[in-house]
Amino acid sequence: MRSDQPFFLWRHLNKLRWVSLSVVFAMLVLLPYLHVYQTYVAAHAYDLLAPSERQVYGVMETLTQPFVGDPAEDLDAIKGNTWSGTFWGLKLSDPLAAFGQMAAGLTIYWPFWLTALIPIALTVVFGRFFCGWICPATFIYELNSNFASWLRWAGIKIGNRHFDKRIKYGVLALGLILSAATGSVLIAAIYPPAIIGREIYYAIAIGGFGAGMMFFIGTLLFDLLVARRGFCRYLCPGGALYSLLGRYRLLRIRRIVETCNDCAKCNAVCEFDLDPLRDGFGQECNNCTACIAICPTNALTFAIRPTDYPAQGPGHLGRRYRSEHAAGDESAAEHREAA
Amino acid sequence: MKRRSFLKALGMGAAAMMSPGSAHAARNRPPLRYLRPPGALEEADFLARCINCGQCGEACPNRCIKYFSIENGLASIDTPYITPREKACILCMKCGEVCPTGAIKPIPRETEAIVEGVKMGHAEVDKGLCLSYQGKTCGVCYRACPLPDVAIRVGRLEQPHVLDKCVGCGLCERSCIQMPHAIRIVPRHG
Repeated sequence: MRSDQPFFLWRHLNKLRWVSLSVVFAMLVLLPYLHVYQTYVAAHAYDLLAPSERQVYGVMETLTQPFVGDPAEDLDAIKGNTWSGTFWGLKLSDPLAAFGQMAAGLTIYWPFWLTALIPIALTVVFGRFFCGWICPATFIYELNSNFASWLRWAGIKIGNRHFDKRIKYGVLALGLILSAATGSVLIAAIYPPAIIGREIYYAIAIGGFGAGMMFFIGTLLFDLLVARRGFCRYLCPGGALYSLLGRYRLLRIRRIVETCNDCAKCNAVCEFDLDPLRDGFGQECNNCTACIAICPTNALTFAIRPTDYPAQGPGHLGRRYRSEHAAGDESAAEHREAA
Repeated sequence: MKRRSFLKALGMGAAAMMSPGSAHAARNRPPLRYLRPPGALEEADFLARCINCGQCGEACPNRCIKYFSIENGLASIDTPYITPREKACILCMKCGEVCPTGAIKPIPRETEAIVEGVKMGHAEVDKGLCLSYQGKTCGVCYRACPLPDVAIRVGRLEQPHVLDKCVGCGLCERSCIQMPHAIRIVPRHG
C-alpha cells in the first residue's frame, strides 16, 4: 500500500456529520419545549395544566432536573437557533444576519457584528462547513434528497435539471438590496435555516406555523420535482455568502491521483454537483465528506492549502490512464491486468 | 336598490379594482394595534435592526411575545409584537437581555430605568365604558398596574387617571373587566 493513504477516520466523518446535523435539529425541537416548561414553572401553574401540558412538564422536568436547580433562570443558558443564539452568555450569529442587518440599516452595529465574528473566522478556515454540518435545513434537504432517490428507484420520474450555480450570488445581492430598500432584514425570510429555526419554535411554543413554512415547503418541492438540492445549489443566499467567505479556505478535500480509479462515485454522491473526479471542488465545497466516505479506493483526503490542486488528469488506476500508459510500460500494465 | 344605481356601483367597484389606486385602498384598512416588546427602538430603526431570530419570544416567561406573519406587511414579517388584551408584558426585561442586535435595548429591571427607557405606548381611558366613571367602583386597572401611582392613580370611586410616566405594558388593558375594555394602550409607533 502507498504511504499517502488518507487517515482512516476521514472515511467516517460523514457519520459524524449526520450526528452533528441531528443534534442541531434535535436542539431546535427541544429548546421551544424547554421554553414552554420554563413558562409553566415561572407561573407556578402545574395544578392548572391540562393533561397534555402536564406531560410536557413531566418530560422536561425529568430531562433537566440533573442539570439545573431553578429551571426558570438556569435554562436561559441556551436560547435561540442557528440564525442567532445565546450559549452561556456567548452570543453567536449567522454571518448572513450581520450582512443583512448592515444592509437594512445602512450602518454597522458593532456589538452585533462581533457575534458573527467566530462563525466568519471558522468559515474562512473551513469554508462552507455550516451548510453541511450545522444547517437545520440541510438535515431536511438531505432526507428529501434520499426520498427522491427512493422515488427514482421505484421508477417515478424526478426532476434533475441543472441551472447556473452563480444564480445564488445574484439572490444574495438582490436580497441585500431589497433589505436596504425596505429597511427591514428581508433576507431572513428567504433563508431556510433561519426559517426552520423560527418555524419549529412557532409550531411548538406559539401554536402554528407561519408564512415561512410555505416558503420552505416550496423549496422542498423544488428540490424534489425540479432539481436535486436545487435551493442549496442555485438559490441559497447564505450558501452564496459562505462560498465567498470560504473561497480561500485552508481545509479542503484533495484527490490522490495515484489511487483514483475514475469510478465517478464521488461526483454522483456530491450534493452540490461539484466535480471531485476532476479536482473541481471550488469555493462551493462544504467539506461534507460524503465523497470521502463513498470512495472505494480511498483516493480522497484532506489537504491544508488555500487553493485547489490543479487538475491532475485521469486516475492512475483508471482504464483511461492505463491505456494511455500501456504502450510505454507494457510489463507494468500486464502485471496489473494479471493482478 | 334600483337597478341603475346597482349597476353604477358595480361599475365603480370594478373600476376601483382595476385602477392602480386599488393597492392604496387595501393599505387604507385600519392598522393593526400591537405593541413592540419593552425597550424596542422607534419603529423604523426597530425594523432595520431586528433580524427576526425569535430569541425575545423564547426568553419571555409570560409568553406574551408573538410574531407577525404577513398580515402586517412584508417589512414586519417575523417581527415580535404583543397584543395586550390577550397577554400583556410583565416588564421582566428579559427580551432586551437576549436581543443580539439591540433592536430591543437592554434595560435593567428597576423602576427608574423602566420608567425612563420603556415607551411601548400610553394607556387611555374611555370614560363612557369605564365602570368607575359610571358610578360603580372598580379600580382593577390600578391594582393591575406594575407602576401604581407612577403610571396611574385613582380618584373618587377609583376613577383611573393615567399619568405621563405610563410605559404602556398593557396589564391594565389585560385586566379590565369591561367588554370591550375601557382602558387601552395606544401604541407609540401609531
